Amino acid sequence: MSDVDLAGLQRIAGIACEAAMRAGADFADAAAEQGQARSISVERNAIKSSDARRWGGVSVRAFSRGATGWSSTSGLSEEGARGAGQQAAELAQAAEPDPDFVDLVSPAPYPEVAGLYDESIAQITGAMLADWVTQNIDSARAVAEDGVVSGGASASHRRWALVNNLGVQVTHRGSSASTSASVVIRRNGDVGSFYEWDAARRLADLAPENLGAKAAEEALKQLKSRSMESGTFPVVFGPLASGAFAGGLCAAASAEEVQRNRSFLIGKEGERVASEHVTLVDDPLIPGGLGSGVCDGDGFPHRRLTVVEAGVLKTYLHSHYTAKKAGVENTGHSTRGGIAPTNIVPALGPKTAAEIIAEVKDGLYVVLGRPSPDTASGQVSALVDAGFRIEKGRLTWPLKNTMVAGHGLELLANIDAVSSDYRAEPGMILPTIRVQGVRVAGGG
Amino acid sequence: MKVAELRKQLERVRDEAVRRKLEFAEARFATARSSGLVLQDGRADRMGAGQRAGMGVRVVVGGAWGFASTESVSFDEWLACLDLAVEMAKVSGRRIAEPVALAESPAVVDDVKASYQIDPTEVSLERKLAAVKGYEEASACRAGERLANVMTGYSDGRQVEMVCNTRGTLVSMESVRTMVWHTITVQDGTLRQRGRELRGRQSGFELVEETLAQEFSVKAAERAVSLLSAPPAPAGKFPAVFHPSITGLLVHEALGHNMEADLVLTGQSILEGKLGTKVAAECINIVDDATVPSSWGSYPYDSEGVPGQKRVLVEKGVLKGFLHSLETAARMGVQPNGSARADGYMHWPIVRMSNTMIQPGEATLEELMQDIDLGILLRGGQWGYVHCEKGQYTCHAGEGVMIRNGRLAEQVRDVSISGMTLETLADSLGVSRDFELEMPGNCGKNGQSMPVNGGGPYVKVKEIVVGGQA
Repeated sequence: MSDVDLAGLQRIAGIACEAAMRAGADFADAAAEQGQARSISVERNAIKSSDARRWGGVSVRAFSRGATGWSSTSGLSEEGARGAGQQAAELAQAAEPDPDFVDLVSPAPYPEVAGLYDESIAQITGAMLADWVTQNIDSARAVAEDGVVSGGASASHRRWALVNNLGVQVTHRGSSASTSASVVIRRNGDVGSFYEWDAARRLADLAPENLGAKAAEEALKQLKSRSMESGTFPVVFGPLASGAFAGGLCAAASAEEVQRNRSFLIGKEGERVASEHVTLVDDPLIPGGLGSGVCDGDGFPHRRLTVVEAGVLKTYLHSHYTAKKAGVENTGHSTRGGIAPTNIVPALGPKTAAEIIAEVKDGLYVVLGRPSPDTASGQVSALVDAGFRIEKGRLTWPLKNTMVAGHGLELLANIDAVSSDYRAEPGMILPTIRVQGVRVAGGG
Repeated sequence: MKVAELRKQLERVRDEAVRRKLEFAEARFATARSSGLVLQDGRADRMGAGQRAGMGVRVVVGGAWGFASTESVSFDEWLACLDLAVEMAKVSGRRIAEPVALAESPAVVDDVKASYQIDPTEVSLERKLAAVKGYEEASACRAGERLANVMTGYSDGRQVEMVCNTRGTLVSMESVRTMVWHTITVQDGTLRQRGRELRGRQSGFELVEETLAQEFSVKAAERAVSLLSAPPAPAGKFPAVFHPSITGLLVHEALGHNMEADLVLTGQSILEGKLGTKVAAECINIVDDATVPSSWGSYPYDSEGVPGQKRVLVEKGVLKGFLHSLETAARMGVQPNGSARADGYMHWPIVRMSNTMIQPGEATLEELMQDIDLGILLRGGQWGYVHCEKGQYTCHAGEGVMIRNGRLAEQVRDVSISGMTLETLADSLGVSRDFELEMPGNCGKNGQSMPVNGGGPYVKVKEIVVGGQA
């Protein structure tokens, strides 16, 4: 498939949109995309494979009496685009009317967002990726010569265009690169393992090297893990685990989940849903942010939004459809099929992570885990994928077969500290948080 | 372009690889068409369809793998893709452990058509909609005033995969899969609970005709409503009995992935070095069977053109074998057993499960429970994941029922468990004669999603960690 530039993608999307309208749709939008990626996978301290992929396709949404028909097709031919448009319109006409649908997004100016595309990432060769993974293998083995390294590296770039029948026309170029290293160390029947990663949209934001060494150092710390006793403890969630709280909260704050009556945050807009230590801003305009962009999936211009302020839920996350249905302002969080946050930025607290841990006499520290509340019930019941016992303010021994549980609202209310220091990734601030009174189930 | 023409075009790519004297080359064309509808809160206001087609080629050059894929169906693009795959293999060659070796497998030329009674593409949207509405109405009626949200989905898809390699294999496979799912959310005050049911088979629309609301959506509604009056599960360690749905989830997540030979060879499986040794209690027999008629995870050939087959993995607690691709079989010096599958043309074949199950035994559920003073029966397996290298897994069950003095007692909600795979297998105390293979779904691995199924009998284990809140 030959390269299609942004104007070409816009033209293909326009053909698909027009085909849907000609086939009787009341409204239609269409997206066309083309991209390519190179990736290398690592298995047992060596390169397993090097891959090159190209993709392109068109997806169309057509609306008839509010009902949605969607169709997608691979390839970027005019014939394929027309066929998808027509099919989407036919499906919309066959579906049942949705009286809550009003219209699609109207044209509006888009913000400037820097750092979404970096030509130097588009120019990354397979040999460069090979150098990164080789360095990661070697750095891991320098830390633990018996470490078994897997992982990989990839670089991709894409072009995308969105058109709707009300005149929205937006195009976008994006790039991303990532590396990862997973290290497993087996000693005397015992296993320690850890996973490290880095990702960025700009090459300058990527630190692809020494991830192997970092993963190996953490894997060594996981040796001699054991189960702890069950009980109720303060739990400190490190930077790689704390994001699950914010992510789970934002998932439940989706207006689609709320309007469909399946979110534990129903009726909580304007109410306290977390302790005063919790402030969350969704910021899609951060230069080079992994979740950044000029518009959402509907083509609505992105803007910064405070979701939780000092524990109070300020707003649900809306798409054009849910905002019209609720009669409120659109927040621009459509993924063209769902609703999702972009870059969630938490407010930081006054104490360092080390100080927060030092204040815990008897508890645990979660390095890796997914303590996201279930969107409907709000319940959290999660395995500690990697963690440590905290005794007298110090991390003492690694944990295995341990679970943390509670209701999401209870756990969020019990957050009593957010650290001042954090792990930074493009668009992401990942602090350490502490939650009091967490139910812990252990095999000890 | 017609299938026969694409097949010839694929052969021409293979012939070019032979002409260039590549050590190995495999070109695969895949096309998929799908359609579906979602009914939510009484309205089917979303209908969709999609189609994809493309080609992926992998090669061995200088003992190293290279792969490239394209969504074009033009021969020139396919040749360019072959060039790119060769270029990528040279990149891999910068750091390989040892040259790629592939096990011998007889060349196969075959063309397998899907088997079904009612072609879903011949069924009108109105007929599909009527069936799905029937499911939803019955379920909503059962939930009554406690209904918060209800969603019912229908999807069908037809896939064709062609595999053509430099060893003379040229296999074309068609599959048709149909699925219905139902999720109901009920509420009592601020308490919300969900019930889910899913049916999926390699079949046509007859799946829907055979699926009765009473045994499907109504079942989900009844479970969700009953959970509203159930207390949260207790936290701690308990003797447990797994319902076949939990057995299916665990045999896949906790054990099955550890039996994938690529993970064994790369040091990520807890079963490395354990072939021929006891890894489970005597009552545990595990097979992965790609030949179960019409099951979601079955296939006639894998994506390397090796026939799908039944693989005995654990027999009377002893580890008998792993799941293999051509490459892992060569590395371990065994016969390939048809376990390499690829998710479309954009990915290359990796070792996957098919229909994975613990075999049934002789006990009844009552017999399994009779000596448990205080324990828990877990059912409604929803999701889980495993850290293969550590053998640590977790699994979320939709519901639990406490076992008191050998009998089922009160129901509990929001139950998650965690365990260490080898400890759970060694602590298995018995398996029932009741058996189900009803966990159709898609398994993710290395960014690829493949249809699989799982199941088994009721399994009794000495104790398990329950992450409850009471």
